[in-house]
Amino acid sequence: MFPEIIDTRPLRNWVDDGLEWVVVNWGDGLEAAASPLLTLLLWIEHLLLATPWWLIILLLTGLAYLASRRLQLAALVCFSLVFLGVMGLWEDSIKTTALMLTATLTAIATSIPVGIAMARWRWLRNIVTPVLDLMQTLPSFVYLIPAVMIFGPGKVPALLATIIYASPPLVRLTDLGIRLVDPDVMEASRAFGASPRQRLFGVQIPLAMPTILAGINQTTMMALAMVVIASMIGAGGLGYQVLQGIGRLEVSRGLFAGLGIVVLAIIFDRVTQAFGRQLQERIGLQDTRT
Amino acid sequence: MTLRKWKLAWALAVAGATFVGAPALAQDTTCGTDRKIDIAEMTWASASVLAHIHAIVLGDGYGCNVELVPGATVTTSASMMGAGEPAVAPELWMSSIADRWAEAEADGTVVKLGDAITDGTIEGLFIPATLLEEYPELATMDGVTARPDLFPDPEDPSKGRVYSGPPGWAAEMATASLYAAYAMDDSGWNLFSVDSAALAASIKRAFLRGDPILFYYWGPTAVLGQVDAVKVELPPVDDDVYKCNTNADCNEVGKTDWPSSMVYVGASAWVADEAPAVAEYFSKVGMTNEDISGLLIYGDANNAETRETAENFLQTRQDFWTTWVPADVAERVIAAIN
Repeated sequence: MFPEIIDTRPLRNWVDDGLEWVVVNWGDGLEAAASPLLTLLLWIEHLLLATPWWLIILLLTGLAYLASRRLQLAALVCFSLVFLGVMGLWEDSIKTTALMLTATLTAIATSIPVGIAMARWRWLRNIVTPVLDLMQTLPSFVYLIPAVMIFGPGKVPALLATIIYASPPLVRLTDLGIRLVDPDVMEASRAFGASPRQRLFGVQIPLAMPTILAGINQTTMMALAMVVIASMIGAGGLGYQVLQGIGRLEVSRGLFAGLGIVVLAIIFDRVTQAFGRQLQERIGLQDTRT
Repeated sequence: MTLRKWKLAWALAVAGATFVGAPALAQDTTCGTDRKIDIAEMTWASASVLAHIHAIVLGDGYGCNVELVPGATVTTSASMMGAGEPAVAPELWMSSIADRWAEAEADGTVVKLGDAITDGTIEGLFIPATLLEEYPELATMDGVTARPDLFPDPEDPSKGRVYSGPPGWAAEMATASLYAAYAMDDSGWNLFSVDSAALAASIKRAFLRGDPILFYYWGPTAVLGQVDAVKVELPPVDDDVYKCNTNADCNEVGKTDWPSSMVYVGASAWVADEAPAVAEYFSKVGMTNEDISGLLIYGDANNAETRETAENFLQTRQDFWTTWVPADVAERVIAAIN
């Protein structure tokens, strides 16, 4: 096999001791830095839990109809939510939804500016792209256990893991969308005397909208994909039911909870896509792009 | 003409090699079977290291066709009872499967080859020793449940947090049953369950920072060996109550300590019939809590991977394991790990 050139153990010990040092010395500071995220998540969760179930079903069905103007989507959303409730998964679904919403909103708020900046400056793209590769492919548990040691188990490391996993598609697609804007259109806008800010918000972002919306859609899906891992470190929700089902050999429990996750994915996917289509129509891009 | 000569020469060479190789094959028959012996490697450290040790001895020593497969108490035992595989589970905890195992043994689908841990196991709720010194009333469960303020939940500081067993484990059900039996929900507590790796990380974190923590854990493990934790006193063991506590369908939960679990080397019945040498080997491999802790502490102290820990054990504790095997097997194992 490959010859042993150096003894890796001192290196590994150094990394482990370094982690312990961070936990002891920076733990409080990092926890405080992450507390706004936790506050946002808890606020969303309490809001959703406090709302009566029929109101949530009504609101989401109405939202689905407004977004798509089609009865089928509204009926699908209504039926899926009732399914969740009937199977006893309502509270778990709310917790999972709150986690996913918080992660997605944070990812959107951080990824789109980074994507836009990447499109503008090539040197930034060269730095950020390997970081994105890392975020997407590094196995979650590699950074999850250190995150648990630093922030403690529970919602914060779960949020961080979900955000790290879900952001890269949006960053990449935003960057791509902006770079793919027709150079002739950009030249025309420059000829008309538009300032860089006007070009960005008036030309580039609207034209990149389909791609950015695809990115948001992917981010939402990937946030839901992390649900089980998030539950392993204490976020609760539907993933927790899946884990219990696996551990106790109760296939039905895992199956229904898994279907619940699929249901949430379908609802958010269809609704965000429908809203996206409406947004594009409103800013003048017709269906040729979708 | 030339091609035929080459073919002839080749055929002779192969035949010769087969004959030369035959005596080597004769050594492998000490395994007793060509059937694949799949050994369940469970996720916790002691089971994992034991699985590797046995895989090396059976593979290199006895010449068996071994394979390590992932496992967990409930799923592995169910698979053995139903499908006859995996072949062996070197550390099978009986605490949650005792009845089903007894039934399957009576049916003849599984056998107990021996005791994996000879002096019982330890399971329970623990608190830091330093906390107990400060608040002596925390020595008993009643004292602990009365003080949720001493174990604040970081996500809900008005309530206390108790870490239960990992999701899906029998320990999770047992802790949840105790939680219900002591009416801890009404006393201002939150029950919190995380994966075993996250649980170990949370415990280490709390002890590193000197935070109070009330947690379920089991031994023999490296974690219990490394942190200064004290077991909370629960009412004496009541087997029937414990059985109900770990049964998802039973609602009359009660207050009881965890019984010391039997831990077997469990196997599918065919192993005893078709590979008696293997069965005999496994009947001798029992270790005490202390032995296993020593194993695990080496692994942790040296940041060793599971296979490394297993090889270290085989190299440094020859006095211990050579009693398990005939002399020629021991020689082959020692040659293989050097």
